[in-house]
Amino acid sequence: MADSTPTLKPSKLPILVSKPTPYTFDLGLLCAFDPNPLQLSSSENLEEDLAATARDGAQALLNQLLSTCPIVSTPAGVLLSLPGIETRLPREKPLPPPKALTTWQRFAAKKGIKSKTKEERKKMVYDEATGEWVPKWGYKGVNKAGEGDWIVEVDERKERERKEGTERQGDGRRERKERVRRNERLMRANERKGRKNGRKS
Amino acid sequence: MLRQIKPRNARSKRALDKKAPKPTENPKTALFLRGTTCSQIVQDALTDLHQLRIPLAKKFTKKNAIHPFEDAASLEFFSEKNDASILVFGSSSKKRPHAITLVRTFAYKVLDMLELYLDPDSFRRLNQFKNKKCAVGLKPMLLFAGTPFENPVSDEYTMVKSFFTDFFKGEPADKVDVEGLQYIVSISARDIVDGEESKPSVHLRIYLIRTKRSGQKLPRVEVEEMGPRMDFRIGRVKEADEDTMKEALKRAKTSQERPKKNISTDIVGDKIGRVHLGKQDLKELQTRKLKGLKRSRDVADEEDDADEEDIVSDEEPVKKPRNA
Repeated sequence: MADSTPTLKPSKLPILVSKPTPYTFDLGLLCAFDPNPLQLSSSENLEEDLAATARDGAQALLNQLLSTCPIVSTPAGVLLSLPGIETRLPREKPLPPPKALTTWQRFAAKKGIKSKTKEERKKMVYDEATGEWVPKWGYKGVNKAGEGDWIVEVDERKERERKEGTERQGDGRRERKERVRRNERLMRANERKGRKNGRKS
Repeated sequence: MLRQIKPRNARSKRALDKKAPKPTENPKTALFLRGTTCSQIVQDALTDLHQLRIPLAKKFTKKNAIHPFEDAASLEFFSEKNDASILVFGSSSKKRPHAITLVRTFAYKVLDMLELYLDPDSFRRLNQFKNKKCAVGLKPMLLFAGTPFENPVSDEYTMVKSFFTDFFKGEPADKVDVEGLQYIVSISARDIVDGEESKPSVHLRIYLIRTKRSGQKLPRVEVEEMGPRMDFRIGRVKEADEDTMKEALKRAKTSQERPKKNISTDIVGDKIGRVHLGKQDLKELQTRKLKGLKRSRDVADEEDDADEEDIVSDEEPVKKPRNA
């Protein structure tokens, strides 16, 4: 069709580039590598030959860019997303040294303290036995388990060591309160120690 | 070496932070300077190269008594003072006519150097081509054509490739405007012929890209020379030492996840993973239990055990027909 009526319908312009060795690309740099020997006929035709090589290269690179990179059309223009750069190029300055750990980070690493996970930070825990979600502390909290029991098995050893004038009633609650007070005591001591070392509280 | 400055106010601190090494670096700045003798041709070439590299470029016009291959100390000073890691030094002498020395620095120390002799006859300036130039600061496309650039071993031509890639890289961008792909830098070299004394010259050409409708999805590309036009012969070379280069090629660890190994998805969409187990301990393997193989016999009467085993093995063929 195109051959019979060349004046009316121009034949399709070729867009494919065929070379004995295919091009390689580094699309992150918009770079094409043509490993074929340069086709130079004579010194007079040098410019035409170079232009032809460049045309083929440009065509191949554009074809590769437009066919492999995702294209997004935005009000600012048609944008091509480029892949990362593969060619290794030297940096201009050495990599920055890793940041020094803070005093707390060093201490936490030594002590094996890890920040709580999202799950640990939640107040409600799942009670396997009853199949319900119960709070860890506060009203009906699991830290009060066993405090309200109306009948308790007697622990012989504990009874022997029991101080004069105390009774088993409210033992669990007393222990829990003592734990809280101990923690607050330690906290105050830590704050005092921190202030003494010249840091702000 | 410059004096180490401790920032005394926020502005100088910002300036220092801008210079400080970063995991992903600022684009390299190129500094153009000339020696005491520098032909007009080389000066024009420097101007044009500077024009192509704007805005990541600085140009000095005063004469500098520098011989890069003899003593590069002042180049290192300029590199640090201007925070420029690509230096383009033009000079001309009787022995080395129209020389352009490309220098790259790493941590303000010279990394590698490459001397190129410009061919004065074929050189054409940017404004000798009477056509519309592309906009300033656009990212060029790059083409390296010819077998010398594909050498797996590092030599002059791979250095030319590395230098010009660095030079024309521009600002790093993960997205480019299709309209911005306006010109291509073509660097080509003839094959190296064995036994020939002179090395093939490197042709640097810059073309504007004209796209035509091809009637297909992709456009037809035509090129039109924009200039400058430069032909180089390769002169002296100072390669980077291995350790420094290795240090310079290091990349920062990226936060994006690496692809997980051994996990793939097949055509149906099922996830397939390969699990590696340790070596299996066959001694622990549970085989068919036989009464005669029981271990709970006394070690003392080993002979008895052996006898019993014999009996068992004799019995087996007898048993089988009974079961059936």
